[in-house]
Amino acid sequence: MTQSPKPSPDGPAASAEGGDVLLEMTGIVKRFPGVLALGGVDLDVRAGEVHCLLGQNGAGKSTLIKVLSAAYQPDEGEILWEGEPVRLTTPVAAMKRGISTIYQELDLVPGLTVTENIFLGHELATAGFSRRAEATQRVRTLLARLGHSEVDPNRLVGDLSPAGQQIVSMARALSHDTRLLILDEPSAVLDQEEVDNLFRVMRGLTAEGVAIIYISHRLEEIRQIGDRITVLKDGRTVATGLPVAETPTSELITLMTGRQIEYVFPNRPTTPPARDAAPVLEATGLSGDRFHDVDLRVHAGEIVGLAGLVGSGRSEILETVYGARRSSAGTVTVNGRRLRRGSVRAAVAAGIGLAPEERKSQALLLDQAVYRNVTVSSMSRFSKASFLDSGAERRAAEELSRSLDVRPAGVDRPVRNLSGGNQQKVVLARWLLRECKVLLLDEPTRGVDVGARTEIYNLVRRLADEGVAVVVVSSEVEEVLGLADRVLVISEGAVVHEGPATEIDESKVLDLVMEGEVA
Amino acid sequence: MSDTPTDAVTQEDTARVEKEAARQVEPGRFGQVMRSGAGHNLGLVLALALLALVGVATGGERFASVDNVMTILRFAAVIGVVSIGMTFVITGGGIDLSVGALVALSSVWCTTVATQTMANDIHWIFIVTTALLVGAGAGLVNGLLIAYGGVVPFIATLAMMASARGLAEIISARKTQIVSVPGFTDAFSRDILGISVLVWIFVVVAVIGWVLLNRTTFGRRTLAIGGNPEASRLAGINVRRHTVLLYVLVGLCCGIAAVMLIARTTTGSATHGQLYELEAIAAVVIGGTLLSGGRGTIVGTVFGVLIFATLTNVFVINNLSISAQAFTKGLIIIAAVLLQKRFSRQPGS
Amino acid sequence: MKLKSTAKIVVAGLSVLALSACISNTPEKSDNVGGTSNAEAGSNDEKGDTVVIGFSAPAADHGWMGAISEQAKAAGDSYEDVDLRLAEGTNDVNLQISQVETFINDKVDAIVLLPFDGAAMTPVALKAMQAGIPVINVDREFNDANAARVTVLGDNYGMGVSAGEYVCEQADGNENAIVAEIAGIDSLPLTQDRSQGFKDALAECGLDVDNRVAADFTVEGGEKAAGNLLQAAPKIDFLWNHDDDQGVGVLAAINNAGRDEFTMVGGAGSANAMREIESGDSVLKATVIYPSTQAADGIKLARLLVQDKAMSDLVEVTVPRTIQLDAPVVTEENVDEFLPTAFES
Repeated sequence: MTQSPKPSPDGPAASAEGGDVLLEMTGIVKRFPGVLALGGVDLDVRAGEVHCLLGQNGAGKSTLIKVLSAAYQPDEGEILWEGEPVRLTTPVAAMKRGISTIYQELDLVPGLTVTENIFLGHELATAGFSRRAEATQRVRTLLARLGHSEVDPNRLVGDLSPAGQQIVSMARALSHDTRLLILDEPSAVLDQEEVDNLFRVMRGLTAEGVAIIYISHRLEEIRQIGDRITVLKDGRTVATGLPVAETPTSELITLMTGRQIEYVFPNRPTTPPARDAAPVLEATGLSGDRFHDVDLRVHAGEIVGLAGLVGSGRSEILETVYGARRSSAGTVTVNGRRLRRGSVRAAVAAGIGLAPEERKSQALLLDQAVYRNVTVSSMSRFSKASFLDSGAERRAAEELSRSLDVRPAGVDRPVRNLSGGNQQKVVLARWLLRECKVLLLDEPTRGVDVGARTEIYNLVRRLADEGVAVVVVSSEVEEVLGLADRVLVISEGAVVHEGPATEIDESKVLDLVMEGEVA
Repeated sequence: MSDTPTDAVTQEDTARVEKEAARQVEPGRFGQVMRSGAGHNLGLVLALALLALVGVATGGERFASVDNVMTILRFAAVIGVVSIGMTFVITGGGIDLSVGALVALSSVWCTTVATQTMANDIHWIFIVTTALLVGAGAGLVNGLLIAYGGVVPFIATLAMMASARGLAEIISARKTQIVSVPGFTDAFSRDILGISVLVWIFVVVAVIGWVLLNRTTFGRRTLAIGGNPEASRLAGINVRRHTVLLYVLVGLCCGIAAVMLIARTTTGSATHGQLYELEAIAAVVIGGTLLSGGRGTIVGTVFGVLIFATLTNVFVINNLSISAQAFTKGLIIIAAVLLQKRFSRQPGS
Repeated sequence: MKLKSTAKIVVAGLSVLALSACISNTPEKSDNVGGTSNAEAGSNDEKGDTVVIGFSAPAADHGWMGAISEQAKAAGDSYEDVDLRLAEGTNDVNLQISQVETFINDKVDAIVLLPFDGAAMTPVALKAMQAGIPVINVDREFNDANAARVTVLGDNYGMGVSAGEYVCEQADGNENAIVAEIAGIDSLPLTQDRSQGFKDALAECGLDVDNRVAADFTVEGGEKAAGNLLQAAPKIDFLWNHDDDQGVGVLAAINNAGRDEFTMVGGAGSANAMREIESGDSVLKATVIYPSTQAADGIKLARLLVQDKAMSDLVEVTVPRTIQLDAPVVTEENVDEFLPTAFES
């Protein structure tokens, strides 16, 4: 099982600092009932490098790191640790070797403090009594090493921001004697500044000889931080040890997909929507949690993007417009009709739909069939005297899912079994069914893999073309700029710039966002 | 910052990945059958059949007689009606620990001297209406506390459990109240088509419950709220109002059960309905309703109730002690829940 | 009236007979333990046609109720011609009704029923009687005389009277004595009867109940109730506790509080309580017997009924309709007589 070609450890160094081979995995196979999750994966990681793992959703990245952290046992294949064959039987055994994993879903206990989380499972204690002062001191040192000495070791983890929680996870990993750190999409919950800080921390660690396996969808990040790349496709290694500096993006994409990409964002309509007509959605002087005095006007057929850092108030603006949060001042009108404050039902009745940021927890009934997720907001349409006609429900959902190309087809399947992109389509279908006039999209492509992103973008544009007024919020500035007709830049809860998307570029947006200057 | 967005892939690949993702969660055929609703009910039918077999083997004619089956059904009817209400609350993501106390309170309230005097003057229906209103009213208090007061269901209904029982004792002065309205006892002690009115009430409540849960917007909303309250709220469902309605519904069921118990005992008493909350929750859970909400089955609950009632009967017929019965009941609950876990577990992905 | 008083004596003797039967398991050779009277073991105990008897009682959640079931079982076992069906232990009237219904379906020859709630069990008892199955009602009375062929009752009112009279005697004319009462489950008519009897007897000597709390027949409940009572009443002269099972808890609370200024009277007559009385250094000086043999008597009477026999010491050729048991007071002086037959809690 070990004959698959791979660069020899002593071969031409892919990265400048190419150290000793720390980990070597060959021919790893992992089966689940009815599916081959890993069909022969090879990977070698050197001390002091950042090794990037690339692949689409479902390519086997998560399974591979679970094998590595001993959450799963491989069915076949060999793992060499510092040249010695090892069997990692339990997560604790992996941890003892110095393998630490930080998962996408952070595994912290919200009700415990930062210090308690970091020492969870290996508390500093004498005869059962915890040595709190010492633990706190060590946590301070760890946090300082991560460049986040502002985090209070005695705060509850549940009170921290996602970025703060990630820092705690990192600190926990470092509290062990870590030699290999696995980061599974760490940047997904971070804004640019925090990503930069993360990279600084990673560089510090590699300088100390720690090896890092880095998983991300964002190629530009890999360019910034990575040394070598391994590409997975359909549970197999299609390339390993590619030097980051010398491998063109197009080649990586070809490896991941087997196809070249031409363009990502749909073209804007040649004739811009009628700006002089009355806006469909109008928010005036809107203030609330974390934002104040925001004016927002969206016309039929227009896509308006809100750009800003995590915590700038952009999601709060959307949720307040939708009535999920109560505004402290200002008004929201749809087609001139003023909405009741803090009422989702009023917003929905007026024709607003929201695709929220946390799709799984805020939008979907994961265990329910696709069609029920689609019709949940339009039940009255399918009921007579509150008796539901589920045949009509299915037909309507089928028609929509065909037109949105939800895959796999079949509306009786629980939504849980769909990929992120298709789940997002189900949420969009829900609002299409209501024939909503205003669509609010919060991070529409979070957790959606690269292929499905294009579909979502095209879909959003199609809806706008059909006359829906769309508002998009995204952490990815390029997404906002590429998709929207008009952009509002939000900084510290206020609009600092408003203008056509074509007249502003990414660095300008970032400048505005960082400095908060009113343009 | 990088310059060009490059991370886009084709649609076919996505589709294939999804197909695999879908295949990944499909267990073997047996597991597949067991995970479906019909499969779960099949398991319950088998369990009931097994119990009946034990009953016939050990009790013979004594078990397999029409009279004995009627005895089982009459016994199951009261707790059955409570369990149907409980199914809705649990499916909607809540719990109601006050059902037994509500049965007691309703039974006492509608059998006070004052109520009975009025019932004699007006109609025996007055007793029934009073019981239903008291049950629904107490349920309304539960619902308002939970939905609008933000009190956790466990705590709100625990408080109601204590208060309602206490109020029942105060109203009755801790005395058993005897019903002397002739129309009432006559109406409920009758048989229709050879089957007790009490059993018919259970059948009607179960059928209405099934239709309500599976065929109406009310049921769909219950499933949605139980599965994900936040998503339901953001989808435009009035989660609070619906939550209140769920507790009113279970309260109403307690009122019906109180009427049935009064008919069976000709008394209202603060000691009625002891531990009904546990009986009902056990029946609902072995029936296949998820305790965490989002999935509920009326058919399963009916089977759950029948299984426990038959078990009790088999034990009585075999002269076995109540302690052995309690022990066996515990085993059955654990076995049912373990089986459910076994067949609803998803392989890691 | 003459017949009634005779019956009372005989029945007291009968209960003692039943007691000895349970202890020794040899009914043919009954010892003279009670010392009051002794019915001769006669032809009634000779083997007759087999009698199927169904027995149902509430949950044995306290010692007295446990003893009731135990002694009923022992009484059943002591006869070759009795097939006893037990459906024990429930505080849910719905379930107890279905148990009795099962007996009716089974066409048992007689049903001995100690209801959780007498009124609530009346309809099903009537149903059994209508089906031609005689029902022997034990301890907690039905509210319809037609629902039972025979009713075996402890004398709850008499218990209260006995306790009250004992307190009067000890108070010896002191009308300022502070009297406290710890009742059992308040919702039961038997508790209400006991309290009424106690109150009436106290009134005879100018006393009344100054402090009253209710427990639930369990040790834990007794401890809780007594704890509260002792807090509420800094000085007590006499304390009557309805039930010796909860009395274990009551005594624990008294010891914890370090109180010994009063005289305590118990109820039911457990072996525990009698040993306390015998020791002489406890605050518990007396207890009022409430026989735990009622159900055993019920079984015996059911057998006689079905076999068409009568109580041989009576002239009457059938079994009487109502039998009420005596409630004597046990003190240090006569405890030796009662201790051997007392129930263990």
